[in-house]
Amino acid sequence: MVNEPGKTMNKDNESGITRRKFILSAIIVAILGSFASLLSLLKVLAPAKKGGGYVSTISPGDTLVYASGSNIGATLRASSMNPGDAVLVYPKGKSSNPANLVQLIRLQESSFKAPTDVKLTDKGFVAYSAICTHLGCTVSWVKNEKSPDASYTECFCHNSIFNPSRGDKVEGGPAPIPLAQIGVKVSSDDSLVFTSNFNGKIGPQV
Amino acid sequence: MLNWLDERLELKKFKEKFLSKTFPTHPSFLIGEIALFSFITLVITGIFLGLLYEPSTKMVSLFGAMVPAAYASVVRIDLLPMGMLIRRIHHWSAMIMIAAILAHLMRVYFTGAYRKPREINWFIGLGLFGISLFAAFTGYLLPYSNFSVTATSIGYYIAKSVPWIGNWISTLLFAGDFPSTATVPRFFFLHVMFIPLVLASLIGLHMVILVKQKHTEPAGNLKKKESQNGKRLIGIPIWPEQAVISTAFYFFLLFLVILIATYIPLNPIETYGPPASGTPVMRPDWYFLIVYGFLKLIPGDLSFSILGGKITPETIGGVLFPSFLILVFALIPLLDRSKEPQNYIVNPLHRPFMTSFGITGGVFLSMLVVSGYIDVLKIAPRTMLVYVILASAAAWVVSYTLLRFYNRDKDGGKHV
Repeated sequence: MVNEPGKTMNKDNESGITRRKFILSAIIVAILGSFASLLSLLKVLAPAKKGGGYVSTISPGDTLVYASGSNIGATLRASSMNPGDAVLVYPKGKSSNPANLVQLIRLQESSFKAPTDVKLTDKGFVAYSAICTHLGCTVSWVKNEKSPDASYTECFCHNSIFNPSRGDKVEGGPAPIPLAQIGVKVSSDDSLVFTSNFNGKIGPQV
Repeated sequence: MLNWLDERLELKKFKEKFLSKTFPTHPSFLIGEIALFSFITLVITGIFLGLLYEPSTKMVSLFGAMVPAAYASVVRIDLLPMGMLIRRIHHWSAMIMIAAILAHLMRVYFTGAYRKPREINWFIGLGLFGISLFAAFTGYLLPYSNFSVTATSIGYYIAKSVPWIGNWISTLLFAGDFPSTATVPRFFFLHVMFIPLVLASLIGLHMVILVKQKHTEPAGNLKKKESQNGKRLIGIPIWPEQAVISTAFYFFLLFLVILIATYIPLNPIETYGPPASGTPVMRPDWYFLIVYGFLKLIPGDLSFSILGGKITPETIGGVLFPSFLILVFALIPLLDRSKEPQNYIVNPLHRPFMTSFGITGGVFLSMLVVSGYIDVLKIAPRTMLVYVILASAAAWVVSYTLLRFYNRDKDGGKHV
């Protein structure tokens, strides 16, 4: 049916819709609809998460190797470290996952206090996740030459300080939780192996 | 030649309408131009760098070592004749541009130039400030050094710490997890295409509105104009006077930037090397020190949940605090409820509240920059927090008392 122009403009039209109103709402719906359909692009631009976050793939029995320095990738020798020393290590062959980065520390055997899990330490060796729980930087070792047991772990990004003889609990700065501990032991050939998984959450707590 | 163009483009009309706009002659009105000119320098040097940069993280051989392709391409740029200089000019111009935006913002704030009818340009200016910071942030990643990756990773976890929608925002912005192979191409596109286009459009809008509304002018001009029965604004026209001044000023700035860039290096890529497992001792560029310093002050045990959203120290320092700053800046023109258009500069000394508020804010933000150095200064975060509060309070008391005293003195003079 073809409407005569005069009739459609008539306000007494039964439906109460004028041509102007109809076109205006059509334009509004078209604009809103096209923008709304574009929103699906946001889904495309944000790819699906693969696992996500820091998930460690360390398994008990993995050998510790250097993660930095000149002998990167070489097996770590227990005798090369004195109390007060610390190094960054990876489990052998699993260096591509940053969640596996561990800080191995040697202190005096007598210096560990709660909440350190002493069962996870061996001959003064203690290991913690090296990924700061604040914003994911790698922590560093601040060595005290005079009294090695007063050395501590610090994240140089925002100066969070962790106490290695007390289970790496947060002694200062913005880190929300301690660095998780992981078990290590010295094997007969002077190398070190992992004996457990992390005992807590690792990576930034966001 | 000119006639030929004029017949077709009506240049004379354009000159009458647009090029005769008057500029105030006070040098503080040139601060905004520093930002604009730095942007131009950034675009020119950016084109050079963009032609040579490779936005990829695939490992390639560089002098026998395997490094990401992006890192290798930046090292190669550094080795080109003048390559390193161009990179430094680019980096220094970014630092100067943001400083100029801030100085320009302070000029507008203290002289009350944000008041009706100029609120729109204040908001656009804030947008330009925020987008410039975003441009700087995306630029951090591109050299893909250990510094770049650490800094971007911090930004990634701050984005992730947004309550409720953090995961979605971070995957959208960083094209998935960080570090991953998708982030560099996305940041490259944002840094060289998307953000510059948005910036250029907003700068254009900022200036069109400026031409339409004209500058604010010194209050003294009001009397002058009344006596001369004169024009709207006293100053010099865009063409030819202001154009000559601006051109000369641009080349002077370019000279200064090249001089600085020649002698002062900024985070040389070789200092940090390609991404490695250790995090270097590093500080962001100056404009991020405010948030960086604030992040250091928040105690780690300050986290809680509301309605399923997790508020952590990162959320407070990296999300809530910057949003709060933006909100305060955005509210400033809305606080001023003048009905009449305000076209004259106010003397900051005659506005005790607003001026002391600005000074206090400046002291507060500067103290946060100092907080970025607590590791060097050997101050505990809690002690520093007390210093920040004390310094801000002192700034308020001193400036407000002095300004009230200054103004009462004037009023007293009238009565006596």
